[in-house]
Amino acid sequence: MTNTCVATVRPPRGLAMGSLLRADSIVMLNSKTSLVLSALLPVVILVVTSFGKAQSRLGGSNLLISLALTLGLLTSCLLGFTLALAHDREIGVLQRLRVTPAPNWMIMTSRLVVQIATNLLASIVVVIVGSIVHGLTLNIGQYLLVITVAILGAAMFLAIGQALVGLVQSTNAVSAIGRLLMIFLLLLGLLGGSGILGDAMQTIADWSPVGALLALFSDVLNLSAWSGQDTYSLLACVGYVVVFAFIGIRWFRWNSR
Amino acid sequence: MSEVNVPAQPPVLDISDLRVAYGARTVVDGVSFQIRRGEIFGLLGPNGAGKTSTLSAIEGLVAPKSGRLLVDGIDVQEEPLDAKARLGVQLQSSSFQAELTIQQIARLYGGLYGVKLSRAQIGTSMRSIGLEEELGKRFKQLSGGQQQRLALFIATIHNPLLLLLDEPTAGLDPQSRRGLWRRIEELRGEGNSILLTTHSMEEAQAVCDRVAIIDHGALLTIGKPSELIDKHRDDPRVLSVAHGAPTLEDVFIGLTGSEIRD
Ligand SMILES: Nc1ncnc2c1ncn2[C@@H]1O[C@H](COP(=O)(O)OP(=O)(O)OP(=O)(O)O)[C@@H](O)[C@H]1O
Ligand SMILES: [Mg+2]
Repeated sequence: MTNTCVATVRPPRGLAMGSLLRADSIVMLNSKTSLVLSALLPVVILVVTSFGKAQSRLGGSNLLISLALTLGLLTSCLLGFTLALAHDREIGVLQRLRVTPAPNWMIMTSRLVVQIATNLLASIVVVIVGSIVHGLTLNIGQYLLVITVAILGAAMFLAIGQALVGLVQSTNAVSAIGRLLMIFLLLLGLLGGSGILGDAMQTIADWSPVGALLALFSDVLNLSAWSGQDTYSLLACVGYVVVFAFIGIRWFRWNSR
Repeated sequence: MSEVNVPAQPPVLDISDLRVAYGARTVVDGVSFQIRRGEIFGLLGPNGAGKTSTLSAIEGLVAPKSGRLLVDGIDVQEEPLDAKARLGVQLQSSSFQAELTIQQIARLYGGLYGVKLSRAQIGTSMRSIGLEEELGKRFKQLSGGQQQRLALFIATIHNPLLLLLDEPTAGLDPQSRRGLWRRIEELRGEGNSILLTTHSMEEAQAVCDRVAIIDHGALLTIGKPSELIDKHRDDPRVLSVAHGAPTLEDVFIGLTGSEIRD
């Protein structure tokens, strides 16, 4: 038998991870929707609201920038990421990757890392544009805090998205539920948080993903002293990450049948 | 069928009493067979017989309900990544990321299998499979035959010990089909073993050293194509469907019945 050159060793992890990251980055750069969702949409909101009296009516520039940041994270994670993942599952991309010697966690981690990196860059762009058009001056420390909160927010919405794709098999259903969930979370965080729906709703809203993230962004931009509410918001966000990531990993279905 | 002489190397694939179930429904029900080094083995069976499910268990895509699966002596369930490193796979229905070009796909899968490919090497490989003009295209922009050639190239990128091909010639024109047969034989010549599924008896006879016929998840018969014809030529079920001297197709239809599956 002359099978000397036949592959029998497990390939190096670094090369596999590098190749995945590279491929996922190319996919991200080529997919216009995720870029539009994560950066363009929030920037448009910021620019539009910088004219006239809109900002004072909507609660000041801090809240507007926070809202733009949150919206960018929410849409790109809950619509962009989930749909791409569900689609790749449906057409068999995930199965093809899974028969290679790359472990499952590596395939998923690469996608998540690229998504979070995109959200990070988008958030930086949004804050810079926001501070310019709304005449806000931020110091380096605030930028770093915004970035930290953005990573936390991205992780939270990605975990929710991962759980959604994990539990729901059809791409169409993922798309429909993702949209509804997005609107629901946004309304809950904004309307509930405004207090017009009563105290009970306000408490629920403060603890909701969008509400908690809005509070964190807004306080970081405000440079107000760290309040007890911020600790609760932080705890809420971390809690959502843990719970939904667990669901999304534990019950993730790799095939669409 | 007990082997008396102990082989120096383990079989490339050793399946014993494999059972695969989806929910309560068992679709592979106690299948056992071995594939030797340098062998081309054909898995035949009607639609829904359990061919793809058997392959999925070997590939680690589904967890078997019971049974043992060894690839080159490595237990697929215990050491899945080591087993996968030895397998080259072409799935019956799968795809590559729609946003990647052919060149980027080759890069990605090379990396996943531990093969670092330069731009020039990818170019040379693509020329050898007639895709040099397509390097910048997306997978979806290729014709069916081109997609199939790329998928086979990806499956063999790391020169795997065992190649699993699920209906590799489905939808190909006669020229491409012959081209694929040639490529499969070349690969065998290089020391690889191949497990393929097909609905073409002509193909099974032309390229397979041995074939197994399965239906309803159970293995009905196994052997060289010519042996199977000899073995079942007097079976009344085979005689009743044969026109003249029994062929492999007569054996297949005789053993699996004439009704159409869904
Ligand atoms: N993921 C799944 N969930 C539930 N049932 C499945 C799944 N995959 C396959 N089946 C069922 O298992 C049975 C065997 O399917 P399998 O794909 O293994 O057949 P096959 O021999 O490859 O058929 P074909 O020649 O049509 O490709 C079929 O009845 C099919 O409906
Ligand atoms: Mg099949």
